[in-house]
Amino acid sequence: MDLSIMIPELLSALPLTLAITFTAMIAGFLLALVTTTFRVRRIPVVSQFADFYVSYARSVPVVLQLFVAFYGLPLVVALLDVEDFVSPNVAAMVGLSLYHGGYLSEVLRPAYLAVERGQHDAADSLGYSFLQKLVRVVGPQAVHIALPGYGNAIIYLIHNVALVMYIGAADVMATAHLVMERDYNQYQFETYLVLAVIYSLLCLVAWSIVRFFEKRNARFAPNTARAKATVMPSV
Amino acid sequence: MFDSEVLLPDLWDILGAVPVTLAMALGIFVFSTMIGSLFAMVEYRRIPLLRELVVAYKVIFKGVPMVIVIFLAYYGLPPTSRFLTSLVGIDYNGHSTPNWITLIVALTLCVSAFQAEVVKGALNSFDNGQAEAAYSLGYRKTQLFRRVMLPQVIVAAIPDLANSIMVIMKALSLGFAIEVVDIFAQSQLTAALNFYYLEAFLIAVFVYMVIAYIVTFVADRLERSLRV
Repeated sequence: MDLSIMIPELLSALPLTLAITFTAMIAGFLLALVTTTFRVRRIPVVSQFADFYVSYARSVPVVLQLFVAFYGLPLVVALLDVEDFVSPNVAAMVGLSLYHGGYLSEVLRPAYLAVERGQHDAADSLGYSFLQKLVRVVGPQAVHIALPGYGNAIIYLIHNVALVMYIGAADVMATAHLVMERDYNQYQFETYLVLAVIYSLLCLVAWSIVRFFEKRNARFAPNTARAKATVMPSV
Repeated sequence: MFDSEVLLPDLWDILGAVPVTLAMALGIFVFSTMIGSLFAMVEYRRIPLLRELVVAYKVIFKGVPMVIVIFLAYYGLPPTSRFLTSLVGIDYNGHSTPNWITLIVALTLCVSAFQAEVVKGALNSFDNGQAEAAYSLGYRKTQLFRRVMLPQVIVAAIPDLANSIMVIMKALSLGFAIEVVDIFAQSQLTAALNFYYLEAFLIAVFVYMVIAYIVTFVADRLERSLRV
């Protein structure tokens, strides 16, 4: 086994892994914002639908969500009557965005609710609209409360990107399988160790970025109890 | 494209895998909670050296995706167990270990890192004034732990423990990579027989959501009835 050949080869698939991660990160965040808004405002029907979506994203294994996206998307595309563009990569991005959005919504909602009740009331009594209240009063404080949970969410997203090879996306894991098979499956344990190091480093980078913002924002910290960051992993 | 006629037979097929999945999840839950409690105790009591080891363990198993841990166990456990048994003089072929044992070991290793966090959080929520009150009443350390701490700590940990059962159930779905049949793997097998993939997967989604609903419902009830 030659590490100097194997590592560059594994890293050549990193752009796809990162592309899926970032797409899921951005789309999932927007989705979480919309879902959280619906969930805290209690609009009939829409709110129930948002609740159902979050419980889907949280109680179904990510592999299964990926497979549902992979086999379900062509059906949706056929209904919309557009040309079929669903490849494993697209399905992975959609599936992980849905997963990340649901997970993140369960981070953002407690953060929103953890901002002191009196501040909500004060903003309401001053005649702020929901959007104004969010942008000027609750949002800035909720950001700080939500940051540790957001860091966890990103780390679990990176972990779950390792699963996209099962629907056929050629990410780092899939490349590792190719490398192993070319070596007649002699160095499987070692290859997985290298993969473990690569994913740990990715998580470390993500974690230190979130940590940097946590530290920087510490002086804006509201004096309320911190919302409990979900410690449990999500797979 | 979507055939609703296969839904019911698929459901029966997939329900057949539920008892096995639950049994494995329960086993992993018990083992990981025991190991996690040990870790949490080490951190709570601030035992030097051991504490650093526990922190290192947690960092490692939180940073690596579970799939990779499962594969590492799959390729690493047989030689390791063979080596360990040869030390005590037993000739055991590690490669004859069934895959489900490998899966249980791998997931127990992963989940105990998180269970340690859950138990530590519950221990930290314990009010120290009560400990002082108990000491002033002449309680011994073990009495304090059994009669005052444990009942409260368990109740405080219930929501997270219920959550962890669900996490373990979901993590078992990764076992299909090493040929362990749980709910998800069974849905794949069912789908492979009649080529109705989406239908089988939707049934599996339904089964998982129902189980999650039951687990949270039971945990809520339990917490309410135990809370002082």
